[in-house]
Amino acid sequence: MFADELKTLRRLGVRHVLLQILNFVSVLASGLMIWKGLGLITNTESPIVVVLSGSMEPAFYRGDLLFLTNPPSQRYKTGDITVYKVPGADIPIVHRVLETHDFVSKEENLVAASPVVQKQLLLTKGDNNHIDDIELYQGLEWLERKHIVGKVRGFLPYVGYVTIAMNDFPQLKYALLGGLGLLALVQRE
Amino acid sequence: MHTLYSRVNNVSAMVSTCLMVLLGAISLSSLLFTADPKGTLSISSIQVFPGNARRYSNKNQDFTFVNFNLTADLTPLFNWNTKQLFLYVSAEYENKQGVRNEVVIWDRIVRRKEDAGLSVAGRNKYVFRDVSASFKDAPPAHYTLKYNIMPYVGVLTYGEAARTVDPVPFPERQDLS
Repeated sequence: MFADELKTLRRLGVRHVLLQILNFVSVLASGLMIWKGLGLITNTESPIVVVLSGSMEPAFYRGDLLFLTNPPSQRYKTGDITVYKVPGADIPIVHRVLETHDFVSKEENLVAASPVVQKQLLLTKGDNNHIDDIELYQGLEWLERKHIVGKVRGFLPYVGYVTIAMNDFPQLKYALLGGLGLLALVQRE
Repeated sequence: MHTLYSRVNNVSAMVSTCLMVLLGAISLSSLLFTADPKGTLSISSIQVFPGNARRYSNKNQDFTFVNFNLTADLTPLFNWNTKQLFLYVSAEYENKQGVRNEVVIWDRIVRRKEDAGLSVAGRNKYVFRDVSASFKDAPPAHYTLKYNIMPYVGVLTYGEAARTVDPVPFPERQDLS
């Protein structure tokens, strides 16, 4: 099956193979640059997330794609849908803010640079859950601004199901990567 | 141009481009709808009772119980790109220590246009407590009805539909007798 491809590779030489690898790597590098650039603009570590659980149904189902921002000059309000990570747990949770408590500094000479400087305590709850998220906070009583990855601004249904499928069936991930690698190596252009 | 591979390549490129343009157009079309419906919200009764905190059963805490009347016609918010409407009644107040609070006490998900004409006599669904565990000497609170439009594709939008006209004071704590 690969006899034709091997013959082509041998004819074209080592330099051609190296050029193909370079093309492949530059595609990966530009993808990474776009991702990190988006993270810088939106001020979050992961500007696009996939919904993993059903705790926000019927608004968000498993496999939906969410676009996040984390504006440093705005405080979070009730009703905002936030993605947060509790220290000690790795999975980000997408829930809605139920309560906000802003500690406004009363010092006379303090000029607040932005609302982020003031301490803000938050409590969240998933739309599909009956009670708030206290159990998920791993000992914390309130969430603080530093735990929050971002606020949901936009929404795209179903697109993220590919990543969930790849996590649940790792063979699919290896097959896809292997196929892409092979295709990149034996392409004529 | 005549191999299976190039045909599949061209068709999939065309389909994905068309799909992306369509999704972009749908999400942009939501900008055309600028409805701003208003309703009325009034508090019929409010009481403060003492109790125990949920986590630490020997810590005393004040709980406020609010009954409210709400009327609003939110049907102008439903368009072809509206998946559901998330409504929430929240209390905005500043407590004695100067901490500004906003607490959601009731919410509802509206999925169909027919259910969007609201007339609700409700009470708080969620526990209404203060960070400092007491509502004593807190200035009066404003209660608001806000909504969040969740689209099929696109940007989430927020708005305020109703607000209590006068601020509602917190009563003295009643003892459970």
